[in-house]
This record gives sequence, C-alpha cells and structure tokens, in this order.
Amino acid sequence: MKIREFGQSIAHVDLSTGETSIRPAPQEWVRKYVGGRGLGVRYLFEAGPEVEAFSPENPLIFMNGPLTGTEMSMSGRWACVTKSPLTGTVTDSHQGGWTAARLRWAGLDGVVFTGRAQSPQYAFIENGNIALRDASEIWGHGVHKTVAFFQERYGAQDLSVCAIGPSGETRGRFAAWVNEDDRAFGRGGTGAIGGDKHLKAIVIRATRARSEDVDPEQWRLVRREMLDHIRDEKNITSPKKGGLSVYGTNVLMNVTNSIGALGTRNSQGTHFGERAEKISGEFVEENILVHDPTCHACPVACKKEVEIKEGPHAGLRMESIEYEPAWSLGANCDNDDVHSIAKLIDQCNDLGMDPIELGNVFSMYMEASERGWLEGLPALKWGDRQTMVALTEAIGRREEPLGDLLAEGTLRGAQHLGHPEIAMVVKGQAVPAYDPRGLKGMGLGYATSNRGACHLRAYVAAAELGVVAIEADPLAWSGKGELVKTFQDLHACGDSMDLCKFSSFAQGADEYAAQLTTAYSQSWSGEDVMTAGERIYNLERHYNNLAGFGPGSDTLPRRFLEEPSTEAGSKGHVSELPEMLTEYYAARGWKNGVVPPAKLAALEIP
Amino acid sequence: MQVKLYATLRALAGVTTIDLPLGDGATVRQLAECLAEHCPALADQIFEPSGELSRRVHFMVDGRNSRWLPQGAETPLRKLQTLDIFPPAAGG
Repeated sequence: MKIREFGQSIAHVDLSTGETSIRPAPQEWVRKYVGGRGLGVRYLFEAGPEVEAFSPENPLIFMNGPLTGTEMSMSGRWACVTKSPLTGTVTDSHQGGWTAARLRWAGLDGVVFTGRAQSPQYAFIENGNIALRDASEIWGHGVHKTVAFFQERYGAQDLSVCAIGPSGETRGRFAAWVNEDDRAFGRGGTGAIGGDKHLKAIVIRATRARSEDVDPEQWRLVRREMLDHIRDEKNITSPKKGGLSVYGTNVLMNVTNSIGALGTRNSQGTHFGERAEKISGEFVEENILVHDPTCHACPVACKKEVEIKEGPHAGLRMESIEYEPAWSLGANCDNDDVHSIAKLIDQCNDLGMDPIELGNVFSMYMEASERGWLEGLPALKWGDRQTMVALTEAIGRREEPLGDLLAEGTLRGAQHLGHPEIAMVVKGQAVPAYDPRGLKGMGLGYATSNRGACHLRAYVAAAELGVVAIEADPLAWSGKGELVKTFQDLHACGDSMDLCKFSSFAQGADEYAAQLTTAYSQSWSGEDVMTAGERIYNLERHYNNLAGFGPGSDTLPRRFLEEPSTEAGSKGHVSELPEMLTEYYAARGWKNGVVPPAKLAALEIP
Repeated sequence: MQVKLYATLRALAGVTTIDLPLGDGATVRQLAECLAEHCPALADQIFEPSGELSRRVHFMVDGRNSRWLPQGAETPLRKLQTLDIFPPAAGG
C-alpha cells in the first residue's frame, strides 16, 4: 500500500448513532493548520468553545500529521485534541510508538469522534475503513490486559492498540490514552473524554506502507539531510552518543538539581541534594536498564526499558522512567526510591493516568497532611511510597472516599481541602519538572501555555540549558517574552506536522519547511512555518478566550512568585512573571492575554 | 579541588568524581585544562579544536553555568564550592 498526500481521509464517527463516514479535510484547513495539533484544534473550534467537556458535543479528535508514517525521521506521532475536563481549555497531547504510523498505513489520516455510545465500544480500523465494535468484555480492565486482549483476538503482528484504563472509564480528570502498553497522550484528561463517550480503544491493523512521493529524488535527499542533523554528534539526539539517546529524558535530573530548578516537597524547595542521583538517568542506566526501544522512524531511542530485580516490585519490567514522572513521583514527593517510581509509572500506564498530575496530587496532599489540613481524611507522609502505590490504584478506580476525591486532580483536591494555594497548577493543570525560579523562561511558558501548565508548548529549556544555538541565561527574565513566543510558534507547527518535540534539538524552522515542501507540491519557507505556528497558537488562545479565559488568566502559583528559592543555583530567586508577561504580550500583539480582532484578521483566523 | 562529572562525560572518564591538584583561586579555564590532562578522553569534549572552551560543556559553579558569571571562564574558584560538569542535556 502507498501513503497518499495527507488530509484525504478523515473518519467521522458519531458514537450516539453509530454512523461513520470518511471524507477529506477542507483544503484550506490543511494549508493553514498543517495537520496533527493544528488541524485538530481547527476541528475542535468548529464545534464551539462553549461546549462542555463532558458532553456528547465535545469532539475527541485523533489526528496524524502530513509526515506521520512516512520514512522521515521522528515522524511516528499523532495528536489527541479535545476540550479538557481538567482545565476547560483546549488541550492537545501527543504520543509516539507505532500506532500513529499504523493509522496512516491503514489509509486514514485522523478520526473525529462525537456523541456518546450507549454501551462500551472500540473502533476497529483496517484497509481504509473504520467500524465500531462491542467492548463490554474488556471494559473495566487495565491497558495492559486490554492490549493483550486485542492481540489475542486479532493477532499481535501488524496490530496497534490505543486504549483507556479504569481511570478514563470513571472519568478521572487526568486520565490518559495509552498505546502499546506505555506511550501516552498523557496530559489534559483526554482519557476521561474517551470514558465519557464509552470509547474504550482504537485498534488498528495494517502492514507497513511507503510514501507515494511528490518528488522521489527530493524526498530522498531531504530525508537523508534531516537524518544527518539528528545523527550529528554535536546534538544530544546523536544515537548512542548524545545524552538523550544514552540516558533518555532523565538525563536532566542531575542538571536541574544542580541549577536549583528541581522542585521538592510540592515545590517548597528547588534542590534534592545528593538524593537526585538515586533517581537520575545515570543511576537507571547503570543499575536497571535492560533495553532501548524506539518509535517508528526514530534512531534516537530515548525510551528506556527497565527491570526491577529485587525488593517489593521485583519482576516488574516496564518502560519508561522519564524525567517528568521521576520528578513528579520522586523529588516532588520526597521519594528517592527509583523502584517505586517505576512501579508508580507502570500503574499510571495500566490505569491510564497522567503521572505528572498524579505526582502533584500526591505532593499537594502530603503538604496538606503535614500542615494538618486533612479534616479526618487519611494522612500521607512525605516519601511514603507504599501508600502512594496503594492510593494510585484507588485514584485510578475512583474508590471512595480518597481515590474519588483525588481523581479530580490537584486543584479540585486542594479546593476541597480549603487550600487552593498549595495546588501547583496553571489553569487547573499541574506543573511539570522545571521550577520557574530556576528556569525563568519555562515559568513564562507555563503561564502562557494554552493547555495549562506545560513544558512542551515552549521548551525554552533547550535555550536556557544550552542545547540549541540560541542561548539564554536561565536566571535572567529579560528577553524571555520574545523567546517563549518563538518556541511556542515553532512547536505549534512541529506538533502539527506531527514531529517529535526532540527533533527541535537538531532541526529548526528551515528544516521543518524543507520537510513540508517535500511532502506537498507547494513550497514552504522557515517563515511560513513560524506563521503557521503563530496562527495555530492564536487560534488556541482565541478558543480559550471564548471559553472564558479572559484577561489575567496567565499566571503562576503564588509560591513561585513570592517564595524565593533557598538552594543551589537559583538561591534567592523568584519568577519575575509580570515583567516577562509585559514583554510577551508585546511580542504577541495581545491585550493581557486576549487576542484582539485585528490580530485574528491578520492571521486569517475565523 | 573536587569536581563531579555527569552523563556521557562520566561514562567517558570512567569516574563520577575526580580530585584535581588545584588550589583556591584557580580559574574555570585552568580547571578545564587540568581535567583534560587527567582525563584525556574528555579533552575533545571540553575544548574546541581552536583551543577555546567548548560551549557544549557546562561548567557549573555552585549551580551557575560559568558562561553566565561576570568573569566567565576566568572566574576564580574555591575548594568548598560545588563544581559540576555536564554535557548538553535536555528532554521532556
């Protein structure tokens, strides 16, 4: 089978009626919003920003990019876009593995689910067709068992399964979709929308297909050039040589610890001392690493499979101890036991939950426990990993009373306890692993992210940690406004292509343009890439404005603004958010976080 | 003067920490030269072919990259300071 030009085959599935149809995306949408995140947001916008997250009218959109499934490096990704039940904003999340590529090979570019089925269903995709089938038999089970169930039914070869677990089924507000056991649409609660719609899984069967290239010779040249960038030994993506390839994302743990950007005890501290080593990528590589799996068309192989051989979790083999959950469930909770972190991540993968939010839920609750604010609820001490493991199961299944409360997420949990100030969230989503007092640009990125606190809407850390050509002092606030905008726009286009975020460590707008040019018959420039990204970012912001996120919505938890770091490289620092926001809004042409009509018109946004 | 190595630098050197025969007042540049002498496997990482300090290696003095300190590579060091040396690192 050959891969056709992107955008010809978007499946539309009404779960209420069972009706399905396959039709092309509007050409104008593909031209302006590229694919993946951008095209998904355009479909979401069409449904109206006022739609309730938990309603049949809220679309659940799975969208490939124009390069997904091709031989272009780091292109094996797709986006999930919906209105978030956690934040009430637009949300998009991305996952790697092989499922996205297989969707393309099966002849589809995306699926838009609307409605709500009366009984559990799964979507089966093969040979350019999509059909709904009964999922009652597997409803209530974890992702691992669900994957095995479908592998047994259809055969494991050429099959991909993307599923929700019990957390999504019970509408846990930070539930995730997980494919192939361990790669997640992690953030924003997309899994809960699946559960609300009674959609358990997407099952795709397809053999590998190759690109039907517009210009085969040009395609070959561009593909080789892009691969050379990733392989370049100067880049951290260099296979088996760069830090990202050798240690995975957790190569960061010791770095952020050194500079005082590693939140501890619910971000009360910024440095984990010598204990950071025990949960670092270096420790994992030396002690428990057993395999380096990868995604479709990726030579980096940043996923790290580990095996626990001793202690209460002996026998566990899982993927992957990423930097984010190693922080959220580790340093952030005063937990320096990497075995328990592996167990907790694997529980998240099986129950279908976002481990970043879960870690913040725990740390919020631990702080409340320490301060005596629990009002009769069970206590949870810092670093009590045994209870964390038990409580994770309860949260994933919404068991009364505590699991049910904490499945609502960090902010709602803290509000219930009467202390929202200890929820480390932006727009209702918990913060990731870069303390804004030690990496100032990341803080601005959190505050202005369109999906709530997020490190991936603007990965300014690449500049603040000196891995890309643009370098920036992590403790300086001046200049971060323009820098964050640049990263946001570049990533918005990259997420729409849908390339792995880590491609941006080795490639920039010009390289993205070269790939788009060879994928289509139209020419793209680096400027076109940045304009498309800016348009997508503004459409998302416009959606949020219309959904009720008006002036003053871009902020950070007070802790980062008022409580100075007392440790390591960031000692004495807070986030100078107001100053950075002034710079940022000037660069964006926004008025206190709101997109003015003139800006919408200039970017041709409806 | 004790320095701690991380990630691929640690793997290349084969050690996590290394004691260098330097006293108070030695600069970041002198530390780099001394380190390259004691761990020749790191020399290509630490220095550009021109002899300049590589911008890809981060010399952290009490958690601050020396690049951002007022005296840069000429920053004088003290034995009690925390000295960490990282290769480029990022992820997500």
